[in-house]
Amino acid sequence: MERLIQFLRRRAASTFLVFVGLVLIFAFLSPRYVFVHSRNIAALGKLFPDLGIVTLGIGMLMICGEFDLSVASVLPFCAYIFARTLYAGLAPSWGLFFALLVGAALGWFNGFLTVKTRMPSFITTLGTLMFWRGVLYIWSKLMPLGIRQYIPSGSLFEKVLTGTVFGFFPVQSLWFTLFAILLGILLHYHRFGNWVYATGDNRDAARAMGINTDWVKTACFIIVGVLCGFSACMQSVRIGSFAATQGINFELRAIAACVVGGTSLRGEIGSMSGVVLGALTIPILDNGLVLLRVPVMGISAFIGLATILFVLLNTYVERRFR
Amino acid sequence: MERENNDFLVRMVNIHKWFGRVYALRGVDFEVRRGETVGLIGDNGAGKSTLIKILSGYHHADQGEIYFEGQRVSIRSPRDARGLGIETVYQEQALAPNLSISRNIFMGREPLRRLGLIDKKVMDEESMQALANLGLKLRSPDVPVVTLSGGERQGVAIARALHFKAKLVILDEPTVALSVKEVEEVLEFIRQLQREKVSVIFITHNLYHAFDIAERFVVMARGKKMADVKKEDTSPQGLSDLVLKSAFVAE
Repeated sequence: MERLIQFLRRRAASTFLVFVGLVLIFAFLSPRYVFVHSRNIAALGKLFPDLGIVTLGIGMLMICGEFDLSVASVLPFCAYIFARTLYAGLAPSWGLFFALLVGAALGWFNGFLTVKTRMPSFITTLGTLMFWRGVLYIWSKLMPLGIRQYIPSGSLFEKVLTGTVFGFFPVQSLWFTLFAILLGILLHYHRFGNWVYATGDNRDAARAMGINTDWVKTACFIIVGVLCGFSACMQSVRIGSFAATQGINFELRAIAACVVGGTSLRGEIGSMSGVVLGALTIPILDNGLVLLRVPVMGISAFIGLATILFVLLNTYVERRFR
Repeated sequence: MERENNDFLVRMVNIHKWFGRVYALRGVDFEVRRGETVGLIGDNGAGKSTLIKILSGYHHADQGEIYFEGQRVSIRSPRDARGLGIETVYQEQALAPNLSISRNIFMGREPLRRLGLIDKKVMDEESMQALANLGLKLRSPDVPVVTLSGGERQGVAIARALHFKAKLVILDEPTVALSVKEVEEVLEFIRQLQREKVSVIFITHNLYHAFDIAERFVVMARGKKMADVKKEDTSPQGLSDLVLKSAFVAE
């Protein structure tokens, strides 16, 4: 009992319970138990990391008290850089390198703009969201660029980013796991993580203790940018092309996932395990509802409802047991 | 003059500060001797906070000099101030409420193992030790600061200053919004600082708290230093009159 209360005291503990519940419900109620069929798990594991990897960075950024709405245009921008590099005749690894680099640069610019102007990042990144999207649309003329000819299926690059292990398990999920572990260590065991929490919790105190809070925030923005770059390449290789619509709606879905995982909108509170849980819960809900034959058009309504209920549940349980 | 300079831990000379068109500090001289506790008092807007924020690196003086241990110094950031051994305990600004006690004490100065990873064991042990040195017994170094009482929170911030061998601790309104018992607790923490020969600047509205703890009082009004008196030359009532009078003279 003591243990149970200890567990429930943790933020996002209730999300975990509901998550387990959802998995069980979908597993039993989906026709012919198709939810737990290896094909469905493989499909899920292939699709969710696109947003999931971005979400990991957004979670850390939110803990240090900032938002990044621009991910929805940074991601396709990086994807376009990736495709362009391939068209320029360079190897795919160079494409990945430039995508990560441009992601980092755009992330740095978000951070620079936010800390220098002291505007809320909600505004600055809303600006860069629209700005980079416009630039991308003009530059790419909204034309998709096929990249299959540069990355033939079965090539090493394709296998590393989008292959499978054990015959069915998608590599994308392993990348998600790897980033989650790395960022989890950074956030919870590294001094940088302590600075992130301190910056989000009490910026003045952090500054008084000699922490360069502007630098910490900028670094978090850069991490988000780099993750966007990585996710962009992974997604492009999976769909075999650049598409200007990549990453659409990622900005708010990433925030929703973080909030479901117990991250506070005001910063300071949250954990990597919570963010991972959030990043898993929303796609599972999405997938499960489709399998239960809920009309695809209406699924957004359920996700919206679920987001609100999760937050209500988390705050209620927290108040009750603290 | 040279010899005297050595008695002073910190000496601020002819400090001026403008905020846009507001002339916040109008040529203030201020000094603290080694091991001395100075009460800095005055009405709201007198310039007390501006003065110490210059000392702690938050603001930069438009004109004037700062000497620390006899050396001319330029304090450009809170980091510089900490490097000199100036630690500030601001009301509500010193701690991150949702972080644990030990993470607060070592904020920005985490003990490390390899690769920048925090050495939690060392951090926790030293935190508990630092608190015990101050006579503060807390359950665990892992509880978030927000769950502590107001007095305990001040204690955590002061323990941090002591642990990192601060030479000068600046306390900005540390007794505001505390219960009588908690105030006594905080004053006891300050006495511990005095026993360790740490210099203290104690900023307060409450003349009785100031009188209890400080050896010398500096009264400010309207960006100027109006009076500088030793404890033996005044009384709480005398101080109160000084503050009132200064406010009117400065008009």
